[in-house]
Amino acid sequence: MVAVAVVLSVVVLLLAVLVAGLLRSHADILKALHELGVGVGEPDDAGDLSGGHRSSGPANPVQIPFGMGPPLPGERNSTSAPTIAGVAPSGDALAVNVGGGGHLTLLAFLSSGCATCAGFWKAFQRPDELGLPARTRLVVVTKGPEMESPAEVASHVRTGLSVVMSTDAWNDYEVPGSPFFVLVEGESGRRVGEGVANHFHQVVELVRRAEADVRELALTSEGRAFSDGLDGPERELANDRELMAAGILPGDPSLYPSTLADVYGLGAVDQPAGASGPAARRADVPEGGNAPDAPDPTGLTYPTDLTDPTDPTDPTDLTDPTDPQPGLRPTTDAPIRMAG
Amino acid sequence: MATIRAHGIEAPLPPGFEGRIFIRPSTGAEVTYPVAHFATFSLPAEVGDFGGGAVNLMGVSDIFAALFEYGPESLGKRLFDRQGMPRSLATANFRPYVLRRGLGGQSGTQWFFTEAGRPFSLYVVLGSHVRRRALVPRVNCLIADVAISAPTRPAAAYSGPLTAAAGGPWN
Repeated sequence: MVAVAVVLSVVVLLLAVLVAGLLRSHADILKALHELGVGVGEPDDAGDLSGGHRSSGPANPVQIPFGMGPPLPGERNSTSAPTIAGVAPSGDALAVNVGGGGHLTLLAFLSSGCATCAGFWKAFQRPDELGLPARTRLVVVTKGPEMESPAEVASHVRTGLSVVMSTDAWNDYEVPGSPFFVLVEGESGRRVGEGVANHFHQVVELVRRAEADVRELALTSEGRAFSDGLDGPERELANDRELMAAGILPGDPSLYPSTLADVYGLGAVDQPAGASGPAARRADVPEGGNAPDAPDPTGLTYPTDLTDPTDPTDPTDLTDPTDPQPGLRPTTDAPIRMAG
Repeated sequence: MATIRAHGIEAPLPPGFEGRIFIRPSTGAEVTYPVAHFATFSLPAEVGDFGGGAVNLMGVSDIFAALFEYGPESLGKRLFDRQGMPRSLATANFRPYVLRRGLGGQSGTQWFFTEAGRPFSLYVVLGSHVRRRALVPRVNCLIADVAISAPTRPAAAYSGPLTAAAGGPWN
């Protein structure tokens, strides 16, 4: 019994030493990584793949690249869609400009040898039966003749199908493997979707959804900013311009809704006299008046007179003169959207 | 800038252009020669040598250009006396009636020339004659750097008379 207890004690002691050694080793590794610039906290620069480093570390942290092969779709920042230039399987030269025009271009990156691609090659034998939305162009892109057999590719191709053999295109579009599909919206010249699929009807469904999204986006100021390739401050500036063009200047009460009625203009009539809120305040303003406004619930102050005295038409007046209840509902069918 | 090259023609494409350089499959004893198409719009799969099936798709801001090579029997003919492809066109070169297929609003120009021992025709269509001042500089940007190299096949011996008159636009 005593012997067993002694043995167990020794085992426990050894395990304790082993755990302590592992913890020490782990600490050493963490310390070494920290000295190399791989911090645990928030990165200083979101785009820095090596991670952030706080001020306690070295001034110039070592860049430690990690990752293998082309970046995956979620890891990319670029949505550009360069022209695809290469050769056709027949040896002719071919360049496809995917930007410009109001059409979509579906790029199918295929290989002649991959098993999954065989189904797509077969489907492409009858381009008219693919079911792609109107104004959608299909372009098949294989790697260049230095990596693909033109004869093998040609054996899959029927007349009427655009096939470009271009290894550069695979690099430009960061294609991770085949089959891979990229959808480009021509108006903006940007990639609006990309990914893999097992069957072409799945791709068709995704293209249809993307087409519907693009159509919806095109109707909004946000979509216009997107299609113009704007982002960040430029996009904010574009939004400001649109708002100003609509007569909504900085400080406009509609920018500070406090109730749903302020947003939709509904129920404003029902508000009790003296009720606060932009909608109520607007209704209180006499016609053509520059009456002092009620205190803003947000605590911010803004000018109450937004009219140009030299302008015969008041740009801030969104009311319809024929409307018996001016200022209580939009005068146009199109709602004014706040682009983010 | 994307560049395409085939059949002894090399063309750097300015932004917004696409193109193809091909030899149409021959039928029977017909001999076909290289054709290059350039356009600022999506070229359909099947396009006639001089834009049939494509020019009707052009918008007012679009450009179509075709570089068509003729057979060696055309070498030395007066029509091809001009040496070298025109590298800069003027708005005055474009006429609404110089069109293979007359479409309202469009205008075109056609030049026959010989370069690198190969007889060619350059045919350019503007989507809108009214906008030619804006479109012609884009055409010039395209044709400025197109390179044509000597034929790889032996040209047929020419025995006809040589003429001194320079070729010009087919206006």
